[in-house]
Amino acid sequence: MLSHRLQNRLARFGMSLLLLAFIIFLAFPVVWLTSTAFKPAREIGLQNPNLIPQQATLENFKVAIEDQKVLQSAFNTLKIAVISALLTLLVALPAAYLLARQRSRMNRAVTIWILVSQTFPLILIIVPLFLILSRLGLVNTHTGLILVYVVWSLPFVLWMLQGYVRGIPVQLEEAAAVDGASQFDILSKIILPLLLPGLIATGLYAFVNTWNEFFFALVMLKSPDLVTLQVNLARLRGVEGLARWGPLAAGSLIAIIPTLIVFGFMQRRLVGGFLAGSVKE
Amino acid sequence: MGKGWLIWIIALLGMGMAQPAQPIKLRFVSLAWQTEAVKAVREVVADWNARNPRIQVEYQQVDWNSIQDYLTTSFQARNVPDVFHYESNPVLDFANRGFLVNLAPLISAEMRQDILPGAWQTVSNSKGEIYGIPFLMEPLIVLYNKKLFTQAGIPLPKDGDVWTWDDLRRAAKTLTTGQQFGCAIGLRNAGNRILNLSVGFGGDYFNKVGERFTVKVGNEERQLLSTILAMLYEDKSCSTDGLGLSGTELIPGFLAGKYAMIPGVGAFVRQQIIEKAPAGFSWGVLPPLKARTQNQGSVSQTLSIPKDSRYPLEAMQFINFMMNRGNMAKLAAGDWLIPTRRTSTLLPPFGTNANGWRTSVEATRFLTFPLWQQVNGIAEIRSRVLNPKLQLLFANRLSLDDFARQVESEGNEILKKYYP
Repeated sequence: MLSHRLQNRLARFGMSLLLLAFIIFLAFPVVWLTSTAFKPAREIGLQNPNLIPQQATLENFKVAIEDQKVLQSAFNTLKIAVISALLTLLVALPAAYLLARQRSRMNRAVTIWILVSQTFPLILIIVPLFLILSRLGLVNTHTGLILVYVVWSLPFVLWMLQGYVRGIPVQLEEAAAVDGASQFDILSKIILPLLLPGLIATGLYAFVNTWNEFFFALVMLKSPDLVTLQVNLARLRGVEGLARWGPLAAGSLIAIIPTLIVFGFMQRRLVGGFLAGSVKE
Repeated sequence: MGKGWLIWIIALLGMGMAQPAQPIKLRFVSLAWQTEAVKAVREVVADWNARNPRIQVEYQQVDWNSIQDYLTTSFQARNVPDVFHYESNPVLDFANRGFLVNLAPLISAEMRQDILPGAWQTVSNSKGEIYGIPFLMEPLIVLYNKKLFTQAGIPLPKDGDVWTWDDLRRAAKTLTTGQQFGCAIGLRNAGNRILNLSVGFGGDYFNKVGERFTVKVGNEERQLLSTILAMLYEDKSCSTDGLGLSGTELIPGFLAGKYAMIPGVGAFVRQQIIEKAPAGFSWGVLPPLKARTQNQGSVSQTLSIPKDSRYPLEAMQFINFMMNRGNMAKLAAGDWLIPTRRTSTLLPPFGTNANGWRTSVEATRFLTFPLWQQVNGIAEIRSRVLNPKLQLLFANRLSLDDFARQVESEGNEILKKYYP
């Protein structure tokens, strides 16, 4: 019979193995993407392709950067995604606070409406939205697209933020008020720091939502200099499952770098924020 | 003082008048995606812009997978490109819905005569209206591995040789050994391919009475299907790998020598072979296989002008420039497809034997405008009935009789919506 200690060790080993398998499963597409980005077309087309490129080349990066202007579209996307996420938070924060703190029939109706609006199919709103933006002269501009993304992300961000605000005890605000803090002080010095993890989580949602969005950007942006990364990379796809795989992989690799950096940075803040909120000193 | 002001005003007005008028801006949506094709389009657009400072063209690249949604939205929102590149079948559908300019009065006699009649048919309606300039055609060809042919003792096809489907079947049997298959056919979403190849057997898949259509799967339509099924399951000379793959996705297997022939692939696939073939790989192209005839159904790639374009005449000028003899040849060569102008095919590389060019160009003689392209609702029938039923048939999970019965009944049910 195995000792309790040995059983524990075996269980931990088994869990580590499972975790390793899961990490490999998650990492494999990125590894394959990296491998493809450095392969010449001939190696990509092999019946049994190798993971390690036999004749590594930077040609795919050259095509992606020089011909396809991936860096410019990546910059466009980053700009649009960051501004959209910040604006969404700016609009959603006071609204979420109000909806969470002031319960009324009206607010409940608004909350339900937010949920219902999430069920609208994209294709249903694209034409009227396009017509409105066209009248405002905002078609083929980043400003118009940012406006669309803010409106598009807002309902869900608002919904999420509401939950975070509700998680902060009202007693904290009441105590601060008793101590003479103004409403602004309460919001800026008490609510906002406690809400930071929630803001980061919802901001990340808005950022990723915008970063990955394809259809609005395809329809709204016409000038080659304005296009976003997703639209630009899609141009490397061909017919019948064909694509310019090398430049597509190189472009995608370049594309994921900013998101990895943003996530790396935000994740630390996110976890840090959670921990700070969970420990009483 | 008064005179001084007057002079200033006149001078300023003069300067204003002397300022060149803003150039007209045309937006051109292109679907070219292969490296050489994109390069060719960029060159032609740059050439036009250099020659026409008053009409400047902005090149917008859109991908094949998004173009339908892109155009539908653009038409509905009335924010359209001035010229767009697409395919004859959906173009006629957009024309039926009133979104496109009838180009017939704008086409020069020279262009009308030079472009193949079969290509014009793909973009014309029964009233003689023309909704796109057809500029690229794509015959379905057969790729074969010369080394495997020689090893199996099959004489290499010569110029002018005609192969029948029976010849293909016999050769495939001979070429099947061990791990090697005589052929592989891309049968994923095979609706279009089957419809086009059935034309050679006299198979239309539709009956037309007056202006109404009904689906039919009779003897002519069954012949191609029986031949493929026999090769898959009786002879076992055709690999079942093709059940889940498109023709282009079989190319790595072809290059590895796993399949000796790939029938029914578009001529553009030759570019993939050039790009990906290992050194010394020797391959050839067979002309369209003969059944009753060598005819094939075909669509053409087109340039069209939306009705909401602000500058239709200028857009047509640009199309005329893009479609001149030299430019059309350049665009077609970049895409590894065949230009629709007869005079363009006289330019290099179309007359050479290298890389299957000559055989591919000659194959355009057999391209016809099939009945199925005139059917309203064909896209729905293809995606909801034909493609899934063909998948079941070729996977040997549906008999040919059941296939015919189900395609007819379900297809006709869909047609009731379009022909009430």
